This record gives sequence, C-alpha cells and structure tokens, in this order.
Amino acid sequence: MPSSSPAKPETAPEDRPPYLGFGLGLRPQHYRDILDGSPDVDWFEVISENYMIPGGQPLAMLDQIVERYPVVMHGVSLSIASTAPFDEEYLDGLNALAKRVHPKWISDHLCWTGVHGVNLHDLLPFPYTQEALEHVVSRVHYVQERIGRPLCLENVSTYVQFGQSEMREWEFISELTRRTGCWLLFDVNNVFVSAFNHGYDAREFLNGIPADRVIQFHLAGHSDMENYIVDTHDHPVREEVWDLYEAALQRFGPVSTMIERDDHIPPLAEMMDELNHARELARKRLGLQRVHKSAATPSAA
Amino acid sequence: MNLKDFQDRFQRAILERDDEILKDIPDGPRETKDNLLGIYRDAYLLRLIEVIGKDHEMLRAYAGDDAFGAMARAYIACCPSSHPNARWVSRRLPEFLRQTEPYAGRPVLAELATLERALNDAFDGPDAPVLALTDLAAIPPDAWPGLVFHAHPAAQCLYLASNAADIWTALKADSEPPEPQFDSPQAVLVWRHDATAMFRRLDAEEAMVWVEASRAASFGTLCQMLAAYDAPDTASARAAGYLKCWLDAGLLTAIGEDRLGGPAKTPR
Repeated sequence: MPSSSPAKPETAPEDRPPYLGFGLGLRPQHYRDILDGSPDVDWFEVISENYMIPGGQPLAMLDQIVERYPVVMHGVSLSIASTAPFDEEYLDGLNALAKRVHPKWISDHLCWTGVHGVNLHDLLPFPYTQEALEHVVSRVHYVQERIGRPLCLENVSTYVQFGQSEMREWEFISELTRRTGCWLLFDVNNVFVSAFNHGYDAREFLNGIPADRVIQFHLAGHSDMENYIVDTHDHPVREEVWDLYEAALQRFGPVSTMIERDDHIPPLAEMMDELNHARELARKRLGLQRVHKSAATPSAA
Repeated sequence: MNLKDFQDRFQRAILERDDEILKDIPDGPRETKDNLLGIYRDAYLLRLIEVIGKDHEMLRAYAGDDAFGAMARAYIACCPSSHPNARWVSRRLPEFLRQTEPYAGRPVLAELATLERALNDAFDGPDAPVLALTDLAAIPPDAWPGLVFHAHPAAQCLYLASNAADIWTALKADSEPPEPQFDSPQAVLVWRHDATAMFRRLDAEEAMVWVEASRAASFGTLCQMLAAYDAPDTASARAAGYLKCWLDAGLLTAIGEDRLGGPAKTPR
C-alpha cells in the first residue's frame, strides 16, 4: 500500500483549469472542415509531438485553429516513468509549443516509452511499487518546474501486470496526484480495456480515483480480440464504454470530455455525432446545458 | 528487481524477443502471458512499419508491401528510434538501404528513400517569409551585381545517381515506373510551395547557379559563371530567368548585399 507521507499539493482547487465542454482530437484529415465550417466543437486536443516540428502546414493550420478554439496539448513521449534521464530538448520543445498555442493544460501518460536512448513509441506499463512511486513523484515535480504549471497525467491501457506490484493502479495514481498536485486525465476507454484484460471491475478503478483531481475525460473505441481488448482508437466508442462514461460523470461531475480517433478516421460529421452523444449523456446525467466555445462554467443540476 | 532493471528487461523483451520478463508477468484471466506480452511486441513493429510506410509511400509501392515490410523490419532492428517524435523514425533509412545487403544491391531503393526523406523534410521544414518579384522592384540597377539571395530554409538540392525522380513520379501517377538507370545523375530541387512539398529536376546549368546562389554568391558572380559556362551574350538574361522562376516558386526568402556583408533583408 502507498505510504502516508504528508501531502504537498502544488495546486489548489481554485487553480483547477477551466471546464471546456466537449472536444475532439485535432487530426489533419479535418483541418479544412474545421476552418471552413467552424464545427460546433468546444475545444481541440492536439498531439504535442505532431506540432513539435520546424514549420510548414501543420503549424500553420494549428495557428488558425488556436485563434478560434481553446486547445489542450497532449503528449506521448514525456516518458514520465522512465529511469532514463529526461530529454531536455523535448521539454524545451514542449515549452516552445505551449508558448505558441497557450494550451489550457498539458497532458501526457503515466507510462514510460524507452531507456538507453531508445524510444519504443509505445505507452509501456510498469510495476506499481513504492520505488516507482517515489521515482515518478520526483519526475513529475521536475517537469512541473520545467513547464511552469501542473502536469495532467493519463492512465494508459495495459495488457500485462507484474508480480512485484505493491498497489493497485488507482492507488498509485491517487498517491501521485496527492503528492505532486498533478491533474488527472481519466481515459474511460483505457480503464475499460485494462479492467477487462486484468479481470477487475472498472468501477473499482473509477471509485478509487480522487473525484476532485480529474480535469479531462478521454473516450475512444477499441478492438475486442475475445480473450483480450486492444486500445486501437480505430472504432466508434463502444456501448460498454459509454456506460462507464455515465458512471464517470456521476462520480466526477462536469469534466472536459473529448473523443480520440487515430485510425480509420471518419469524416468530421461522424465524429460530431459521437461528440453530441457524449453531450446528450452529460445533459441527461448532470443536467448540463449546451456548452459553447467560450463557455467555461457548466451549470450542473 | 528495481525499476531500472525492470525497464531494461522489458525493453529487451520487445527489441530482442528476450523472454526473461515473463517470469514477472502472471497469466491474464483469459489469455496467456506470452500472448499478452506479444501485444507489445507486435504493436512496436506494426506501429513503426506504418510510420515508415507513410513516410515512404512510393518506396513502398515500388518494393511491394511484403518486401517493404521485411525491409522496414530490418531497418527497425538495425536503427531503433532514438527521437521522441515518430516523425523522425525513418530518418536513417536512406543510409541503411545504401549500406545494407540485400538492399545495397538495388541502389534505386536508397535513391527513392532519399527523395522521399527530402520531401518530408520540405513539408514541415522551417518557415520563412517568401520573397516576391515586387520586393525587387525598388532596387536600383547599379545595386544588382552586388545582390545576394537567400534560399528558403525548407529548400534543398539533391544529387541523385539515378532516375529515381522519374520512377517516383510514375509511381505517384499510378503508372508503370521506368527501369532504374544510373547512367545520368540528376540534380533535383526539393522545396515547399504554400503547404505542398514538391520537386523538379534541374539541368546542369540551373543546378550550378542554384547551388552558388544558395551559398550567397552575388548576382554579378552568378552572371559571370553563366557567361563562362555557355553563351556569354545571354548570361544576364538566363540569370534573370532563373531568378524569376525561383521567385515564382517561393524558393527565395531574402536578399542582401554582397559588399556590405550586412544582415539579409526579408520581405515585410
């Protein structure tokens, strides 16, 4: 079990980033439709690394989208749990992009991506030990110092567990946020996938996460391989994940929600249908009114 | 086992198919630990092969999916990614293909990879203001010989040993590509115009002038080079023609003055 070291929250509830409503992952396939059609999306999440490039069309498109929509930066290569030293150039690049797009927050994943100078370009699992917790806590402090703001960390989908784990994933996450003040990105699909793969109740995970630290939800589709589930982001959100989303709304209240699609990306209109379904569920569960681009305060029932 | 040793072992499981980590992984409720670990092993390769394939669409079309997949696997095994951005995963592919058998025996593969890497680099290369013909209108005639031009930072001139550019063009048009030929090297200018990466072949004279212009040779020097190269009477007109062509294509970003050696002037 986690130790009971004194909490040192670096963020107070009043520092909580604004509620943004219902957003989508920004994908190049939709640039034109977004800029020509001004779709009813409240905000966009951008994959940080896709824009940590010298120049060209991606950055030009991003600049235009930032003028019209709130944006959140979401990285895949911070490697917060790695035992390798941080890539300082990467952190500089993250800061440079943040200066350009003024994100509402910066997120990445609670995982590692490689050691010994290798990047495996995957979100890799690790045992939830006290040693790992101390290590990640110190790394989160360092990153928060470097980026000048609290980090937001996402739970990843996992396919294996490790015998040496000393606590459950949600216990690790809870202790991490308590000791670092980092915010949490609760990926509803990832909880569903990991719960299925490891044979636990997704609601146990849900109920183990501190309700006041979650500032963002991810929703996505997955691939059911019968004996296990893979987090592929190439399907619409499954019914069971929508159910878990409703339970998450019930526990966490109004939380900025976005839908991820990384493969078999459909036309924007189809993504809007899914997003509107999320809106409808939130309206039903929480009595949320429609949230428009600039609205920052939801009216909860 | 501490976290560092764990990560060493897990990474070895993926890169080297080492099974030692399996000792620390219990079976899942419905699936064996071997198969569950296999998800990470497979995902690693499939993801990188996909990235390399997107970066090298015509190389993939030329080699065929199966051969391309084998080539990409060999590359990944030889050159694991070291960059946090997957954009640079295929960075060393041209050198790998040039130096590694059996690919080195088909040098056109490395040539196609070189061209596609240059196109990728042009697509998201650095931004810079683009010089227009009107920016030159106010320059007095006696200042022209001393003018130097700065190439757009996303532009580069490649020297290909083969007709890879023609092969690429045919593949892009879904046409039958010509046979590889290595008897006439080609200079190819690769750049970005608006948002699109593009290339065109340069003849020997334009290639010479472009390279010198990009090295900040003055307009006067370029005219002298052209006069020495061919038909002195038309050298200035040819230089002006190249210049207009480069301006229309958005290939120049600034002008400066050779003799003053001062900072370049960029268009407003």
